[in-house]
Parts: sequence; structure tokens; C-alpha cells
Amino acid sequence: MAEMQKKSISDYRMPGQRGPRNRGEVEKAKDKKGTLKRLLTYFASEKKNVLLLLIVVVVGVVCGILAPSLQSRAIDAITEREFADLPVLLAAMGIVYGINCLGTYLQGRASALLSQGTVKRMREDLFAHIVHLPIKYLDTHSHGDIMSRMTNDVENISTTISQSLSSLFSGVLTVAGTVVVMFYLCPQLALLSCSTVILTVFATKYLSKAMRNVYLKRQVLLGSLNGTVEEMVGSYRTVAAYGKEQQVIDEFNGISDELTSVGIRAEILGGSMGPVMNLINNIGFVIIAAFGGYFAYKGIISVGVISAFIVYAKQFGRPIDEIAQVWGQVQTALAGAERVFGIMDAPLEDASGEIDMQSLSEEAVIAFEHVNFSYVEGTPVLKDFSLIVQPGQKVALVGATGSGKTTVVNLLMRYYQPDSGTIRIDGADIQDIDLKSLRDATAIVLQDTVLFADTIRNNLKYSDPDITDEEMIECAKQCHVDSTIRRMEQGYDTMLMADAGNISQGQQQLLSIARAFVSKPQILILDEATSNVDTRTEKRIQDAMVRLMKGRTSLVIAHRLSTIKDADRIVVMDQGQIVESGTHEELLALDGKYHELYMTQFAGGVI
Amino acid sequence: MWKYLKKYWFFALLAPLFMLGEAGMDLFQPSLMATIVDDGVLGLNNGGVGNLQIVIHTGLQMIGLIFVGAMCGILSGVFANLAAQRFGNDVRKDAFSSIMHFSFSQTDHFTTGSLITRVTNDVTQVQNMVQMVIRGYVRTMILLIGGIICMTRLNLSFGFVLLLAMPLIVVVLILFLSKITPNFTILQQRLDDVNNVMQENVSGNRVVKAYHQEGREQERFGTANQKLIETQLRILFLLNYMNPIMNIILNLSVIAIIWIGGLKAETWEVQPGHVMAAITYLTQILNALMRLGMMFQNISRGMASSKRLKEVIDTVPEIQDGEMTLATITEKIAVSDADMMTESEGKGATESEEEITEKREDDRIVIHGQVEFRHVSFAYAGHEEILNDINLTIAPGETIGILGMTGSGKTSLINLIPRFYDVTSGSVLVDGVDVRNYPLSELRGKIAVALQKSEIMQKSIRENIAWGNSESSEEEIRKAAEIAQAMEFIASKEEGLDTQVAQSGYSLSGGQKQRLAIARAVLKRVEILILDDSTSALDLKTEGRLYQCLKTEYPDITKIIIAQRIASVRDADRILVLEDGRIAACGSHDELLSDSSIYRDIYESQMGGVSHG
Repeated sequence: MAEMQKKSISDYRMPGQRGPRNRGEVEKAKDKKGTLKRLLTYFASEKKNVLLLLIVVVVGVVCGILAPSLQSRAIDAITEREFADLPVLLAAMGIVYGINCLGTYLQGRASALLSQGTVKRMREDLFAHIVHLPIKYLDTHSHGDIMSRMTNDVENISTTISQSLSSLFSGVLTVAGTVVVMFYLCPQLALLSCSTVILTVFATKYLSKAMRNVYLKRQVLLGSLNGTVEEMVGSYRTVAAYGKEQQVIDEFNGISDELTSVGIRAEILGGSMGPVMNLINNIGFVIIAAFGGYFAYKGIISVGVISAFIVYAKQFGRPIDEIAQVWGQVQTALAGAERVFGIMDAPLEDASGEIDMQSLSEEAVIAFEHVNFSYVEGTPVLKDFSLIVQPGQKVALVGATGSGKTTVVNLLMRYYQPDSGTIRIDGADIQDIDLKSLRDATAIVLQDTVLFADTIRNNLKYSDPDITDEEMIECAKQCHVDSTIRRMEQGYDTMLMADAGNISQGQQQLLSIARAFVSKPQILILDEATSNVDTRTEKRIQDAMVRLMKGRTSLVIAHRLSTIKDADRIVVMDQGQIVESGTHEELLALDGKYHELYMTQFAGGVI
Repeated sequence: MWKYLKKYWFFALLAPLFMLGEAGMDLFQPSLMATIVDDGVLGLNNGGVGNLQIVIHTGLQMIGLIFVGAMCGILSGVFANLAAQRFGNDVRKDAFSSIMHFSFSQTDHFTTGSLITRVTNDVTQVQNMVQMVIRGYVRTMILLIGGIICMTRLNLSFGFVLLLAMPLIVVVLILFLSKITPNFTILQQRLDDVNNVMQENVSGNRVVKAYHQEGREQERFGTANQKLIETQLRILFLLNYMNPIMNIILNLSVIAIIWIGGLKAETWEVQPGHVMAAITYLTQILNALMRLGMMFQNISRGMASSKRLKEVIDTVPEIQDGEMTLATITEKIAVSDADMMTESEGKGATESEEEITEKREDDRIVIHGQVEFRHVSFAYAGHEEILNDINLTIAPGETIGILGMTGSGKTSLINLIPRFYDVTSGSVLVDGVDVRNYPLSELRGKIAVALQKSEIMQKSIRENIAWGNSESSEEEIRKAAEIAQAMEFIASKEEGLDTQVAQSGYSLSGGQKQRLAIARAVLKRVEILILDDSTSALDLKTEGRLYQCLKTEYPDITKIIIAQRIASVRDADRILVLEDGRIAACGSHDELLSDSSIYRDIYESQMGGVSHG
């Protein structure tokens, strides 16, 4: 049975898709200047391409302005029947066009290199920052959100750089240059032509204002439509189980109808943009033809100038349209860049500490001393928690959800830091121990297995790629997973799919235990490592774990008491405090909390 | 797809007609301008004496025409939108409705992810395609063909330029598009790879840190990123060749036109205004041709989407209503009821004979909730058999627990009761009637299922629970929440029952979601309640209270409980152990403990081998 696809499809965007996803709604960065400045530092190391781009754009603009005037002179040559001039003029045109094409090519190349180079570094920087973020950041921020920084925002910045910036630059230059030449050729006609620009600006402003509201409304409806589809198709089992098909369909149809009517309004408005712009362009054309004709009749200008003006008018009408559009894109990109930088500005994990674990005795005592901790201020999770784990001991933590078991692990691994109190290994505060060596010495097996979309071999050798195959296979054997792997067609070279979807949950768990095995840890942490598998598989896993724990200091968190009965010490936690501690037998004899827990589990719920 | 568009044929016809108006007006402009230049300014037909009258007159004519053109353009847009969006709406609604009636195996076949894309993205693609075809495509074609006609009418020799330029553009277009298109698939793959590494590192950060492999992950990401950038650049570079080449073809054609124009003007065959008009036409034609190429790409994408939608809409729901009417079913149940009564004595069901008879007098349909599996075998399409010759009768009001390894067929077994899937062979009977004979709504109305993965909607908690029965009163909802042990955590929320649940229930813990799903199932008030491993995230105490409540509040409902822990089902009337699609053992806890070795195995592994007491 297929699992629901996790990635929200409505968020998805093809790379290279132009511009912001939704017309009408333009996000704005809060600190535009600062963000822009920082974005520019990314360009700084691409100086060569930036320079090339600027030069090429200037050349292109000059050619674009020069060519029509040459064309105008060619037409004049025909009108004035000076046919001898024609070949020279045409050759000049050819050269100018040629240079222009070369310029266009170089411009495209430079902007592609610039944008991809920038994006590459930005992605790498962002990723490097993310892997070094403290767990707290990742626990408190939506993963989907972080993912969308990497995909949508960076992609957006990329398109903006590659397309918008150079067109913005060349647009401004073209408009300026064209206007100058037009005024040079015939100021009267130039003024008249410019009047269409005013029309364009007004029409764009008015229409886009009207459009913004409708588009916004449509965006919201589209969101709720996509949301409904995702939710209902995703929960089709529940829909069917409750016979709610018709109700769901009616609900969907309602949204769909509303979307359609808003969509029609939006698109009619948006669609009229084309004809209106066409109208304005044509008005410009008529102005040039009629007034140009009039001026030519009066002898103020030549016929060729009319022809040049037709090209010029087009040339400067287009960039004005574009500039407005590009401006919106730049805004969106800046807002995206600000979000990306927001992550990059999040403080990194505290990796301080210099003591090497190797320098500590292998028989290290782990001691929690009066540790207090809270995830959210005001709601303490651990209260004056003290615990000593002797070397080689297996200590189990039991207690209800929320009693603070996992927090103990989080603190020991330095995923989080205690609010007060200290945790010591062989007398050294773990804050003073080199983070890398601390984590090197510990291995952790989590309830939710994390395996990587890589070969089984690379997953097993995750802690150290230099481990020999023999060692790896030996560990796999110890974990009863070697034969399973060998049965797979490609054995240890089997590629795991994303989310390890191609192997069973039990196998995933065994692999993650084997991975911990391979890393030869001094301290082992098992956090409800078996609660997701059925009992039969659990037996295999437990077997593997017993071997893994042999001779190692281990902390075990378990739901099922059967898994930890043989622990050297069982610590019962309740609301962040230790309420009982001792061996299984001792605790049972105590007839307290543990006894109660054990009996409920043993006696089971009443059905 | 045609039948959807047919409904809006009127709009679909008007749109291109008005477009004809707009494009036609555009085509007129250059030739009118030629008149201004040649007759008005240069007075070529008047012995070199210009005529201001002609300039003004033609200018006004042009203004009038462009207004007509703009009106036509806007109207064409209106009609195209009416046609395309309403068409899209119909397709979307039909596709969604079709999906909602899919059987589980049909949904599995398509996968939910793909279905979601089809209803959202593909509909948009098809809708855009329709709009483009009846508007943009028509416009481009008119400009192209009209342009060619107008241009050659000016002078046939201009046609030679077209004859050369057009095939060149087409060849270049085809060459590039065929080269670029496959790269897009690769690009998608590369992008997925980058996202994957990212996803793994964001959600698996604890492990990365635990093994301090940040550096290695950066390397992995770097490689994936590098590959993505390379593909991206390859596409950009290819695209980058296209523009200059197209431009050079266009520009050379302009030079050729002037050149030819010059030669012909020398012999008085063409007038300067014609040359100018020809240049404008040429630009129009070649631009139209390039747009056409891009449109073909969009159309092929739209066609692919249309095909994907057609697959969905044309799929006939596999699981159809049974043919028996309610009346015959009632009859049948009444008959089987008589059999049942004799049977139930031996079974020791909770209800006494008198009660059943009593009920029967009250109501034509006697509610009880017997489930019977007769030689049931089942396999998911294209897979090995997962259930093999299952024979089992669950008595009304009985509580039955099902244990077994993952993959042993527990969920598959219970999925057959509400016909989420149909048996491969054998039959499943509810109240003595084959489930395939029931009208679907009737059958599913008898059964409530709390699923393994609790699906919680983005609504308020109240609405989520009330999904089970939309007519239930506030009191009933509260009661259901209490039975499901959900009231405690609901009450702790500031807005209580009105608390909004975030998308996919992210704001709730696993145990909370499970309890909501159970409350929803309980509220449905049915004969058969199925809990498919839906208490796994509850601690044993809560779970125990839940079962206790179910027992006292709903003694006559048949309860089928799939569980991982023996403790969860220990007190069930009977416990069924499934292994490899067969019933390995069945009986009460005590019976199984003494008779079944496999049950003892499980028991010992869970209880740690400590003997009872």
C-alpha cells in the first residue's frame, strides 16, 4: 500500500519556471537594503562574470539602438533612390546585428554562469549551516519550511539573477538610449511617442491594482482547493470507511466552482492586459505613421525616420513592461534571500570543549549532577535530576510519556544544554569535552530509524568509511542481519530508497543497530529502539542489542518492561524526577510505581 | 476530453472568431502605413506630390481599426476563459469524484501522490492548453498565414526571403527542442536528489550529529548540488544558443528584404512604403513561427496531462454496490437470524435469546454484527497471496483480538469486512449476507474502523470527531471523546473541542491523533467496531481504561482489535494469531497459553519469560 507522498505538491515548482509563482501577490523583504548588500557579496566572488555581463549588456544596447538608425538610412536610400549607398549600409547593419547576436550569446552565458555559481555557493553555505544548527532549532522549526528555503527561495533567487537582473539593466539602458536617439532624430515625434509610455504606465498600474485583489483571492482559493485534494485523497481510507464520499465531493465541488468563477474574473482581467497593451502599441504605431507622415510631408523628417521610429517605439515599450514585472520578481527574490539569510544567521551549535574523550579513562563514570532543564521556559522537564551510571552498567529509564526520559539522552549527547547542573564523564564536564570526540564515543539507536539513501555498506560504515568490510560483516552477523542482506540481489551494495522504503521496518531497525555496532561506541544509547516492530522481529533485535551492550555503558529507554528486566539498574521517572531506582526484583518488592507499571503491562488492560 | 469541451462549444467558437478580428486588425496596420508613406507623404501615385488628406484620413482609419481590434481581443479573452475554465472545472470535479469512488486497490495502483497531482497540476495544464489553443494558437496562426499572404501580395519576391528563413527557423527549433527536452527529466531527477539529501539531513539530524558526519554530509550534498548545477547549466547553455541564432536569422532576413526592396525599387517595382511594411510583416511572421514552436511544447505537455486525467476519469470503480436491495437483505438477515439463534447457544455470545427476539420485534432489521469468513483467500494485485483459506466466525457482541507479525495479514483481513478490498476467493459475510451483495453505504454504515494511521483532518477537533456522525449532539461528541480517553487532553487545550488541528494533525501527538480517530469511530454507532492497531501510541493505562469504557458502554457491539501487545487483547473473548496468512491459533488467553506454542513464544518475549504471578 502506497504511503502518502510527503512533499506538498502545491508547493512544487519546476526549476527554471519564470518569476514568482503567483502574480498579484508580491512579498516584500523587511530589510531590503541589508539583504541586497549581502546578496551582492555573493556576486563579489563572481567578479569576472559580473563585469562581462555589464560590458556585454552595454554593447547589446548600443547595437540595438544603432541598428534601427542604419535601417532608417537604408530606407531613405531607397526613397531617395541612392541605391549605391545600399550595400554599405546593409553591410554595416549585418555587422551590427552580428555583434548584437554575439552579445546576446555572451550575456546569456555569463548570466547562467553567474546565477548557477551564486546559487551553488548559496546552497552549499545554507546546507553547511543547517547541518551545524543545534537540534533545538530543527526541533522548533517546521522541516517543510526549512526545505522550502532550500528549494523555492534559492531557486527564486537563481531565476531572478539569471533573468531579471540583466534584463533590468539592459531595459533601463535601452529605454534611456532609445529616448536620446529618438529626440535626436525628431523631438516632436519623440514626445508624441512618449505619450504612449504614459498610457502604458497608467494601464499597467490600474490593471495590476485591479488584478492584485482578484489574484490574491484566487490564490487563497487555489490553496484551499489543493489542500482539500491533498487531505481527502490522502485520507481516502477514512473517507471510504465513513462513507463520506458524497459529502467530500460536494465540499470539493463548492470550492472548485468558486475558484472557477474567481478564476474567470481574474483571467479576464489578466487576459485583457494583452489586448490593452496591444492597443497602446498600435496607438503608438498610428501616432508614428500619421504624425510621422505629416512631419515627413512637411519635410521635417525623412521617411526612413518613420521606419526607425517604429522599431524604436517597440524597443522602448517592451522594457517598460518588463521593468515593472522584473521589479516584482526582484522583490520576491529579496524576500526569499532574507529568509535564507535568516537561517544562516541562526546561531550554530555550541561545539566548544577541548578535552579528548580518549584522554579519559575507558572506565568512565557518567554522572548527572542536579540537572534542571526545560524546553519551554516555565515548564521544567527535568527537576534536580541526579544519576550516576557506573562503567559497563546497563541502566534503564522507564516512565510515562513526558516523564523526561528522552531529555536525559538529549542532554548527554549535548543535543540540548542543561539550564543548570552539570553532566560529567570521568569527572569532566561534558561541555568541556570536545563535541566530536564525545559523540564519537557514543552511539545512539532511535525509535524512528534514520537511514540514508545510499548503499547498505555506506550506511553501515556511516561512522567511519575506512572500516574494513570484514569488520562490517562481522558486526552485521552479530546483529543477525548479514544473511538478510546477502539474500538481497545486490547484497551490501543494495541502494536504499529514500525513507528506506524498500526494506521492512524491522530490517531498518536491525541496520541501525548494526550501524551503532560498527562504530564501536564506549557509551550506547537506545531510545525505544524496538517499539515499532512486531514481537518476533523484536526478539531478533533484542538479541542483537544484548550483544551490542555487552561490556558497554548503556542507557536504555523502553516502553516494554520486558526489554529491560535484566538491566543492572532500572530508574523510574515521573515528571522529571527519579521516583524509584534499583534492580527489577528490588523494585517489584518495593510495590511502588514500578510494580504498578509492571502489573498493568503484565496484567494488561481490561477488555 | 472532447465531450467536456463540447458543452462549451459556443464560447470555444466565439473566442477564435473574435481573435480573428483582433489579429486581422493587426495585419491591416502595416499596409495602411504603407499607404501613408507611399501615397500620403511621397505621393508616388500622384507624381511625387504628397497628400496630407490621405495621411490624416488613413491615420483615423487606423485608430478606428485598432479600437475594434482591442475590443475583439478582450472579448476573445472573455470567451476563451469562460470555455477553458468551465471546462477545467468540470474535468476537475469529475476526476475528483471518480477518485473518491475508487476502491483501495485502485488508489494503491495510482498512488495518492499521483492522484493529487492529477487533480491539481494536470487540470491546470489541460485548462491552459485549451485556452492557448482557442486563443493564442489561433492568433499565432492568423498572424503567420495572414502575414505571409500580405507580404507576398506586396511583392512576390519578398516571399523568397520567407521561403529561406522559415524552414531554417523550424529546423533550428526542432533541433534545440529535441536536444533540451530530455534534459528536463534529468533535471527533475537531480533536483529530487538534492532535496533528498536535504530532507535526510533535516529530519535525521540527530543521527548525523551522533556520528559527527556533518562534513561527509556536506560532501554528499556538494556532489548532488554540483550535478544539479551542471544539468541546469547544460540546459541554460543550450537555450542560450537559441536566441542569438533566431535573432540572426531574423536580422539577416530584414537585410535581405531591404536588399531586394532596393533592387526592385530601382526598377520601380516596389515602393519604399512596401519595403517598410514588408519588414514589419516579416518580424510578425517569424516571431509567430517561434511562438508556435514553444506552443507545441506546451501542447504536448497538455496532451500528456489530458491522458493522465482521462485514465482517472475513465476508471470504473472496482467496488460497486451489491445487487441486493435493502428489502431482500433484511429478509435474508431474518432467515440467518433463525440459524444464528441456534448457533449462538453453543458460542456463548453475550446476548441472550430473548434480547434478540425482542429487538427483532421492534425493528425489521435486526442489528447484531456477525462476521463470517468462508475459505477466504486474498492477494494484493500483482503480489503473492497474503491470506490463505481463512475460516472464522465472529459472533455478535464478541470481542476478538488479532495478533501477528507485520505482514502476517492482520490489516488485510479486516479490510475485507467493509470491502476496502474484495476477496480473491471465498466470501466474507456480515449478518449472514455476502458483503458483495450489500449496497456499499449500507454495509459501511454497519462498520466503524479506526485505522492504523490515524487520518486527522485540518478542521476543529469537534468536526473531526463529528465526522463519524454529523448529526450527533454536543453531548454525544463529548461522550465519544470520553470513551476514547481523549477528553482529558482536549480539555487541556485552550479552545477545547473547537481547537483547530493543523495540517495532517501536526499539532497533535500520535497518541492524541489515535484517540481522536477512536472517538470518531465510536461516535458512528455501528454493529462492528474495528480498531486496527490504533492504540499503539497509548500507554498501557490509558489503553486499559479505553477498553474498559468500550466494554461497559457498548456491550453488544462486535469489537475486532488488532494489536501488537498481548496485554492489549489479553481479556478478549478470543484471540486470533495470524501467521503467514493463516490462522495459527485461536482461543482465549488462557487456552492459548496452555495450547499454543506460538502464542507462548510471543507471550514470553513480551513478558520477558517471567511466569505468571
